[in-house]
Amino acid sequence: MAETSFHKPVAKIKRKKSLAQRLSENKAVQQSSAIVLPVLLGVVIFALWQTQVLHKMFGTDVFTLPLPTKIASLFAQNLPAVWINSLATIKAAGLGLLFGSILGYVVAILATFFPDMGKGGLYLVGAFASIPIAALAPVMNNWTKDVSSTASVRSMVSKILVVTLVCAADMTLNAYRGLTEVKPYSEDLMATYAASKRKLLFKLRIPNSVPYIFTALKVSVPASIMTAVVSEYFAEYIVGVGREIRENIVLSQYSIAWVYITAACIIGIVAYALLMLAQSILMKKFKPV
Amino acid sequence: MEMKKVPLTKQKWFQVLFWILFIIVAWEVGASVVAVTKRTPENVMPHLYQILAAAFSTKPVSSGMSATMVVLTSARATLLRAFGGFLLGAALGFVFALLMQMSKAVEKMIFPYLMLIQLIPVLGLAPIVLAITGDINKSRIIIAAILSFYPVANNTLAGFKSVSKERYELMATYAAKKYQIYGKVLIPAASPYFFTGLKIAAPLAVTASILVDTLQGDGGLGCMLSQSLKHAMSIYVFWLIVFFSAFVGIFSTYLISFIEFITSPAKRAAWNGRSLEKKHRRAAMKAARKEYRKEKEDGRDLISQTCSENKA
Repeated sequence: MAETSFHKPVAKIKRKKSLAQRLSENKAVQQSSAIVLPVLLGVVIFALWQTQVLHKMFGTDVFTLPLPTKIASLFAQNLPAVWINSLATIKAAGLGLLFGSILGYVVAILATFFPDMGKGGLYLVGAFASIPIAALAPVMNNWTKDVSSTASVRSMVSKILVVTLVCAADMTLNAYRGLTEVKPYSEDLMATYAASKRKLLFKLRIPNSVPYIFTALKVSVPASIMTAVVSEYFAEYIVGVGREIRENIVLSQYSIAWVYITAACIIGIVAYALLMLAQSILMKKFKPV
Repeated sequence: MEMKKVPLTKQKWFQVLFWILFIIVAWEVGASVVAVTKRTPENVMPHLYQILAAAFSTKPVSSGMSATMVVLTSARATLLRAFGGFLLGAALGFVFALLMQMSKAVEKMIFPYLMLIQLIPVLGLAPIVLAITGDINKSRIIIAAILSFYPVANNTLAGFKSVSKERYELMATYAAKKYQIYGKVLIPAASPYFFTGLKIAAPLAVTASILVDTLQGDGGLGCMLSQSLKHAMSIYVFWLIVFFSAFVGIFSTYLISFIEFITSPAKRAAWNGRSLEKKHRRAAMKAARKEYRKEKEDGRDLISQTCSENKA
């Protein structure tokens, strides 16, 4: 400390950085920590589960909360049954999502054509979105009693209908925003081109709504699976991941129930991953100009 | 100076009323069709007046209670737990968002799992939570809390992230302490996002609580719902519960909007500004009309008319 900056100016005052500061400025550390930290947490939880510390924390036993290794081995053993039930859930969720999204989008387009009354209808759709699924599912069951004489078919129809309604509400609200919240002056520009209403729709509104479709899907893809699982509880025909969870718990076969819970989680995660993939491909094409 | 009238179709109350009437008419048409074609129309689609009559009838349906009493007593059990779970989940969601904002490491550690919670069909977990806790009230609260946790945490975190760099810089020039930055900038900025999260979470909490009810015969809306479906009591109890839960789901969202309105000064100011503007406009309109009448009495309107014609 002999040379202070008292007499001659020093170019740069070097202060020793703390370890935390250095770590936070290191790019490689930051990037790797985004992977390492969550994995670390996962490993810790897994270890706690496997060593039954988790059981002591929740005050439960290996019977109700089986060890991960046991769930995995049972999953492998029951693969065919799990697959059949998963397929039923995927069918209900997927078809409902498809129909619901199309329906919701069409309603949104209709609302842009009749802006005055359409907007009022949207308030109602918004209110409709907050109706509990648990109330919707039994109603749909009753309404679809006469669709088919086979229980499996009419149960499937009712499940698809519930999922459709839930997804349609999401899609309508988001798509309407996408169709109407266009860039300022772009509507005026289209007017100076003397563009017809149809042209306006196809050249301006629909391309503008693509990101909003994905916003809606990000909500409705997980919601569709949750809805399918819940409406299986109320359905007449016993099939599907959700129903199996419940049936097995009634029979006190908790480990099998956990297998189906795992299956439900896998379906949810895979569906979301697929959505993200589709988004990354499509959004490149429809990049907002 | 003629007051310009807003056409009826552009007014919000008329639009909403129109659609509500539309739904009522559609329902009644459906109910009339069902009444003719089905053997048990009250199971499929009863007339709305039948449901209303059931709501006001004093005839006992189950253990000496009328249908409305059954619904209300079971609703108390269900909704109280839903509310408890909702509060717990919302509080935890806020705290986790705060923690993630405070520490990058915590954010990196927890955020992927936060995403995972959203992807897992949590309601599918309801039976197992019931099995673990062994208590229906606890599992109602836990499931409602898990479901409300995610939207609140995610939205609040997005709110914290929405704070622009300039605001931090401004606070830095004020030499603000960290807790001051949180208190004065971050939390107020995140509050609209937080309320958006709450609005998503509230109906979810109600759904969760009703669903957990159906798992065990211990009272509650969901339990009555499934009993009524099995014809253990009047089917109208089922319809009352359906409409009641729909109402609660919708009402909860509006309730939170109202709470947001009360608690956030910005929203209130906007509202006051709007009503003040309306007041001014009305006053101006009145004054203009008065002047116009006066002009007419004075016969000056003729002059002004000719003037404007000349200009044209």
